[in-house]
Amino acid sequence: MAERGAVESRGVIHDLGYRPYTGPRQGEGAIAWALFVNGFLNAFGIGRSGKSKVLPFLLLALNLLPAVIVVGAMVLIGLPDLPISYAQYASTTQVLLGIFVASQAPVLFSRDLRHGSITLYLARPLRATHYALARWAALLAATLVFLLLPILMLYVGTLLGELDAGTQTEDAATAALLVVLLALTLTGVAGLIASVSVRRGFAVVATIAVLLLGNGIVTAIQGIATEQERPRIGEIAGLFSPYSLYRGAGAALADLDSLTPPTGAGMEAAYYVAFVALAALCLGLLVLRYRKVSGR
Amino acid sequence: MDTVVRTEGLTKDYGSVLALDDLSLEIGPGITGLVGANGAGKSTLIKILLGLLTPTRGAATVLGHDIARASAEIRTEVGYLPEHDCLPPDVSASDFVVHLAMMSGLPRVAARERAAEVLRHVGLAEERYRPMGGYSTGMKQRAKLAQALAHDPRLVLLDEPTNGLDPAARDDMLGLVQRIGEDFGIAVIVTSHLLGELERVSDHVVILDGGKLLRASRTDEFLDATGTLLVEVLGDDAQARMAAALAEAGVMTQARGGLIALEPPNPAADRSGVPDLHDLVRDTAADLGLGLVRIQADHRRIEDVFHDAPADVTAEVARG
Repeated sequence: MAERGAVESRGVIHDLGYRPYTGPRQGEGAIAWALFVNGFLNAFGIGRSGKSKVLPFLLLALNLLPAVIVVGAMVLIGLPDLPISYAQYASTTQVLLGIFVASQAPVLFSRDLRHGSITLYLARPLRATHYALARWAALLAATLVFLLLPILMLYVGTLLGELDAGTQTEDAATAALLVVLLALTLTGVAGLIASVSVRRGFAVVATIAVLLLGNGIVTAIQGIATEQERPRIGEIAGLFSPYSLYRGAGAALADLDSLTPPTGAGMEAAYYVAFVALAALCLGLLVLRYRKVSGR
Repeated sequence: MDTVVRTEGLTKDYGSVLALDDLSLEIGPGITGLVGANGAGKSTLIKILLGLLTPTRGAATVLGHDIARASAEIRTEVGYLPEHDCLPPDVSASDFVVHLAMMSGLPRVAARERAAEVLRHVGLAEERYRPMGGYSTGMKQRAKLAQALAHDPRLVLLDEPTNGLDPAARDDMLGLVQRIGEDFGIAVIVTSHLLGELERVSDHVVILDGGKLLRASRTDEFLDATGTLLVEVLGDDAQARMAAALAEAGVMTQARGGLIALEPPNPAADRSGVPDLHDLVRDTAADLGLGLVRIQADHRRIEDVFHDAPADVTAEVARG
């Protein structure tokens, strides 16, 4: 009993009394929403260390810089039209976009696996599937900020520059639809890679390789196909990378340049279907991955 | 709620390893030590209770909820401290505990209040605002404990909370475990592969061995006084002289480390006229001019269970 007394007399425990919690306990929906908000902020380094804010905000600033310049020109000089179309914008800044998604997906998907904190989530009410969906939605929302913000800025710029509002609204809406498709696929691909690679560095490199190198290879094939005057091969190759899918679908819907734009209604439909299917497939695999981690 | 955890024929077969073998037990409120060597099935049992693993066979209830049907309810009402690292290094304990309290369903404002409170209870002061990557093992264990308590659970499952701690930090952690069970009124199931350390904080002890129940009973039943007295004396050649004098008085003695163990007198023998053992020790020491440092009752230790009767027999008795 002497030992018992010794434990209690240690000074580390401040005896201020324990108060039970009697307030409300929210359901799974509210918990998933809280996880989504937390993940969205984390993707921009908010709620994490100071230096983890540097990269996302630097990339975001660089990504918005062309839009700022264009809007400045629209307002000050009064350009007759946008020097870069809404849909072209994402194609132009695709490297920045790729780095952003590749570097922030591990924040949302690798970190909890790497540090074991996934166990603490799985020991709480949220189911593994909902955890995966909330994380995915957070990355999607962050990517959409990256993609939609420049479109919004350009749109406001054209309105300030007193361009025809009807045409601009239609073009901006079409581009918004295209970038949502792009964001869905990028989120799926980057999220899936990050969820299977525990090491952050590996996830970043693998995602950049898949997105940017994949795009490079597809572009090379499309270039050769054009030269050999067999564009069909290029059109089919374009189905295999998010960026080339974006260019192909953009060529069909808007004014995007593609070396081998999809020709014919069947091929155009194939681009839309492949776009959506790739996003859905990645999301499905992502959910499966977390169900496997949770042991159920 | 009388029964906190009840399992019936719980079995977990990993194919190559049988982690739990037809385990049936009942755990009540208070602090229960779950003891066993590494691989005895402690962590597997805890993970099954939390719904992190699916049992191969058998059934279990936690706080009255069936693990197969009401896993989400269980995870709302239970706190869990995992054995392995689970803290992201670039987040402060304060932010992390707030976040995890929200993940247990607390609204943001309440989560903040609770986090501040439990971090204070576990003894993390200013360091709670620093990233956890720089914490010592003891501080990390406290942060892990804080997240397990953040949502005011009715039961906490603590998997090896003293693992990797130095003796002082180990004592602190055991003190905290005791407080949670006694002062906070939260049922505690705490595992350890060190048998000795749980005997002073737990009310009940459940011993697992190879996935089977070896014994389950109140801690004090493990620690029954054996009737043996331990005596420590000080002086020139004190131990030998004391032992000789006691032997002369008809008491069987045995040297045990720096102590003398006095065998209990045979209860069947006629004790009239024979002085009490304590008085005898006192008088003998005084006669010899030795300093009597202490007389204490000898308690058994939980370890002794393993040296006792064959495992099968005790397990049957415990299941009753």
